[in-house]
Formats: sequence, C-alpha cells, structure tokens
Amino acid sequence: MSEAENICVSEDLGGYVLVRVCGEVDLSWSQQVRDAILAALGRCDGVGVELAQVTYIDSSGIAALVEGFQTARGQGRRFGLIAASRQVLAVLQLARLDKVFPLFADLDAARDA
Amino acid sequence: MNAAPLAVAGNGERRALRFLAELSQALAESLDLRATLEMAVTRIADFMQAEAASLFLLDHAGLIECRICVGPVDITGLRLGVGQGVVGRCVAENATQIVRDARDDSRVNVRVDAETGFVTRSILCAPLSNARGPIGALEVINRRDGSLFDEDDAEILRLVAAPAALAIGNAQLAHGLVEQQRIKRELDLARRMQKSMLPRRRRGDFPIRGVNLPAHEISGDFYDFFDLPDGRLAFVIGDVSGKGLDAAFLMVRVASMLRWVGARAPAPGAWLGEVNAELCRSVQDGRFVCAAVGQYDRASGQVRMASAGFPPALLHAGSEFEEIPADGPPLGILAEADYGEREIALGQRALYLFSDGATDVRTGATDRLGEAGMRGLIARHAGLAPEPRLRALLGDLKRLRLVDDTTLLLVQESCGAQAHTLMDLEFPAQAVQMRSMRAALRHALDAQGVAPELRDQLVLAVDEACTNVIRHAYGGECSRRIALHVARERDMLAFELRDRAPAVDPACLKARDLSECRPGGLGLPFIAATMDAWKLEPAADGQGNVLRMHKRIEGGEPE
Repeated sequence: MSEAENICVSEDLGGYVLVRVCGEVDLSWSQQVRDAILAALGRCDGVGVELAQVTYIDSSGIAALVEGFQTARGQGRRFGLIAASRQVLAVLQLARLDKVFPLFADLDAARDA
Repeated sequence: MNAAPLAVAGNGERRALRFLAELSQALAESLDLRATLEMAVTRIADFMQAEAASLFLLDHAGLIECRICVGPVDITGLRLGVGQGVVGRCVAENATQIVRDARDDSRVNVRVDAETGFVTRSILCAPLSNARGPIGALEVINRRDGSLFDEDDAEILRLVAAPAALAIGNAQLAHGLVEQQRIKRELDLARRMQKSMLPRRRRGDFPIRGVNLPAHEISGDFYDFFDLPDGRLAFVIGDVSGKGLDAAFLMVRVASMLRWVGARAPAPGAWLGEVNAELCRSVQDGRFVCAAVGQYDRASGQVRMASAGFPPALLHAGSEFEEIPADGPPLGILAEADYGEREIALGQRALYLFSDGATDVRTGATDRLGEAGMRGLIARHAGLAPEPRLRALLGDLKRLRLVDDTTLLLVQESCGAQAHTLMDLEFPAQAVQMRSMRAALRHALDAQGVAPELRDQLVLAVDEACTNVIRHAYGGECSRRIALHVARERDMLAFELRDRAPAVDPACLKARDLSECRPGGLGLPFIAATMDAWKLEPAADGQGNVLRMHKRIEGGEPE
C-alpha cells in the first residue's frame, strides 16, 4: 500500500473543472472533498472528479460524490468520475452505485461526453 | 336558554352556569370517582329540585346498571336492557328523554313503583356519552314542588351530563391502564421465574450449553442439564404445545417431572416413559409435550438419548450431518407409548437439539428456515468455539423473524482450538486516527493470507464501525477511547470494537436499503454486506458498547 498524500485540487480547464483527489478519503477530510466538488459545480457546467490515486474511500467520501452527482443533476450540469481506482470501484460496487455514476476512463472521455 | 348570551342571561341561567362550573371543577379534580359521583348526583338532585336522582352505566354485558342513587328508594344495582324503560331508551337513542306525566307514558317502567310504593310523576333522563357513543345515563325523578320538568330542565341536565361523562371516561381509562400495567408486571414476574428455572451456564469447558428465546413474555420451551451421581451429565430439552400462560404452567410442571425422574439416572427410554405415563394421567386438555432427554458420559464420549416427538437432533462434524429422529410420540398423548433409545459415539462431534421454533423462523413473508436452513447456519458458524457459535446461531435466528419460542441445546466437547489475537489497538475517537488503524489492520490481515479484495472490504467495514462510534455513539470527535481487538479461530475472524459511550439501543441500528441513491447511512450496509454476522451489545460491565463482527475466511492459513 503506497502512502499517498491526501490531496484535493481543482483545475479550471475552461468550461470544465477537474477535481483531482489523491490518498485515503475518510471522515478526517472528506468534507474538503465535498466542498471542492460543490464549489466546482457552483462555477462550471461540467465537473469531473479524478480518483486514480485514491487508495481508500469510506462512506463519507462516497457520500460527497453522491451529493455532487445529485447537485449536478438538479442543476442540469455534467458530473462524472474519472479513472476511478480499483479500491474506489470496489466500494462503489458494494454501495451499488457503480451503475449510478457516469464513469470515464480519462479526462478527454469525460469532457467529450 | 341555549341561545341566551351570557350578558343578558337571567337569574336562573346564571345560577345554572355557576353550578355547572362548580360541578365540572369537582369532577375534574376527582381522585376518588365513586365518592365524587355520589356527591355530584346529590348536588344535581338538589339543584334540579328533584326527589330522586340516579346514575346508570353500561356494563360489559351490554346492560345498564344503576351505580349511584339518591332519594327515598334505593335502586342501586337495578339492571336494564338497552331500550328498556326511560333510561334504556335514553341510552339506545343517545338522546335526552322527558316524561312530563309518568302515569300516562308507555316508556315508564312501572315495576319499581309497584314494588316500592314510590309514585313517579315526572322524569328527566340525559345520556352520558363519549366520542364512541353512550356509556350510561343520568336520571332525575319528580320535582319536589310537584310541578313537571320542562325543556329548560332537560337542557340543564344535558349540560350537567357532559362533565360527568368525561370524568367517568377518564377514570375508566386510568383503570384500564393500571390493569394493563398490573398484567405486564405479573407476566414479567412469570418470565423471570421461568428464566430462573433454566440451569445456569457452567464456566470453563463444560460440554452442554443451552439458550432459550421466548417469542413472547413467557415461554413454552425449556432445557435443563445436571450432574448424575455416577459422573455422567443428564440433559433435557422440551417444547410444550400451545402458547401463553397455560403452556408456561405446563412447562414448569413437565420440567420438574423430567428433572425429578431424571435424577435417578434411568435409561432414557424409561425416563420418558415414566413422565409420559404421569402426564397422561394428569393432563387431559389435549396439550402435549415434545421432549428429548439423554445422558452424556464424558469419559467414554458416549451419549444415550431418547426423543418423544422432538424435532430430529443433528450430529455435525466437518461437512457431515447425521439426523437423529424421534423414538416415540410426544409426551401426554398415549399412556402406553414405548420409547426406544439410542447410543451415539459423540467423540469430537457436535450434537444439536433445537425446538421447532428454530426451524419455524421466517425467512420471508411465509418461508420457514426449515431444517436445511438450520444446517446451513450451523455449517456457517462451525469455525467458532461452542459458546460464541451458539450466540451467533441465536443472533441469526433473532435477525430472521421469530414466530415461536426457540430453544437450542448443544452437546460438544471444546476441541481445544484457541482463538489467537491478531491485533489489539486502542486509540482516541478521532477521524485522524483511522488511517493508522487501517494500515495496522491491513498488515494483520495480509499476514493471515486474506485476499486483497476481501482485506480491503474488511478494513472498510471496521473503519465504518469506528466512524459510527465517533459520530453517533460519542456524538463527535473526542479524546475518549475506542478499542479494537481482532482474533482468529480456525477459519473465523472475529472483530471486537469497544467504546465507553452511553449505551446505544441495538434496535435502532438497521442497515438501509442500498437500492435508493442518497448520500448518508452507508456505513451499516457496508458492515452488513461484508460480515457474516455482527451484533452490537451493551458492554458486560455496563460501560459502553461492544460491536462484535465475524467473517469466515477461506484458503488463508495463519502464519
């Protein structure tokens, strides 16, 4: 298990915001991830959350993603998960949410969708 | 009168209102309803200037009985049918009755006058009623000045009847509640007495263990075990037909008879035969008792047992189940019944005896768990030591829907398999502690050869359990402690999480349905989906809660 640092950064790509999350998303900082996603949705029509470097995610992290998804849908904005790691996919499956979120292999696929 | 505004109310009306207010007050404050009603009826008679007044109440049989009576003739206890006489009609129609001239009115019951010499001239009768309808009537007879009752009098009586009915209704309600509580207390006592009849759990490696789970307050099931003078151990399990108090009383009797006869160490068949003969002599109401009895010789590993219509016992080892059928009919049916018996080489195997409440457990709206389901549960928890296994079985049965008393008895020598600790960790209830807890747990599980996918899922479940403790049990992050203990016994992983928070009601924990998409409440479903069994209980020392979770792992070998 790599000791990836917990990072959440938003990148403005002109008309699309990429929220890049790394590390172990748990109760200690999932609120930051939630805030970043909601802030991105507040200023842009399309938001992608990149989860390739997420080595762990708990229910509070999943809740942040669900809230982002529901907010985007309510406002008619695009929202997708990009390059979700094996660990993230396993938890999404456990929560039966793997069919709910739009999942994309990479940023281009997400932006083109 | 009914339309007269207060400001211009006449003298008589003002008097009536004052009387009504005082009467309402007295009734509302009443602690002793009977005394207050007597006072009220007397005051009503005086106020209405009546020679006699009486209060009637409907009883359970649907008759109207005079409960309070003032005047020259005491008719207390007089009972009338609904519709009978002026009072009966008043209740039947739930409407005030005026009899201006009693000598010339077909409604009037002339019997009382004929028997007592009292002369009824004029009658007023108002119904006492609540939201559900009439509960009785208030009657006044004859004006003292000889004049006749009029519409105004009828209206006043109708108004006076309202607070009286309210007071009676409240008192009846209070009486009902007191009665309910009394019954509950007595059932509670009966349950505790029954429970005290069950043998105490023996510590150490004692090979016989039982559990009883009544479906209601009291149980028709029982089990027992005791030492015989020759060193063997005797055991009994039984199930009395029917439910409720009479089944419970029969259970107490049969349990004593089985203990009394069994103490002399008869052969199991003869043991059942003797109790059966006695029961057939003394129980004739169609009740019967299914029971199994036996003796276990620890030195030789032999069990001798006999069953009277009890569900088939199960012998279990590895993947093998052997069924042990009944040897004769239930006790209390056929006085001349003969009971065979059988000898079982128990060895290291487990002998399960369970009342039909266990197999009758509902797995769906109507589906029963059945014997196959019971075998499945036994196989699933086979990796656990006898004591936690029995608890896990009971936990599973409880989580399904119990419809009958359920009793399990397990005869098995502990095979010496020791649980060994994989990890012992204590940390403050703070979210930042979770990362190192997860790392330690991953490491411990890796060392057990747990596959990465399952390992991650187990780590998630334990993490969710910890964050639930932080968020819900402790009500937020704090410096109080969480203790995590992970152990392995053969192929069973046991996770134990302790906190020092106020007791959490296990009943309020329910994994939510995952088919709806919403952000919160995912922790418990994760735990439920990952673990084979989990249970939250108050800590034995009364301080805090203990969450126990079990997961059977395959293939992995301890280091």
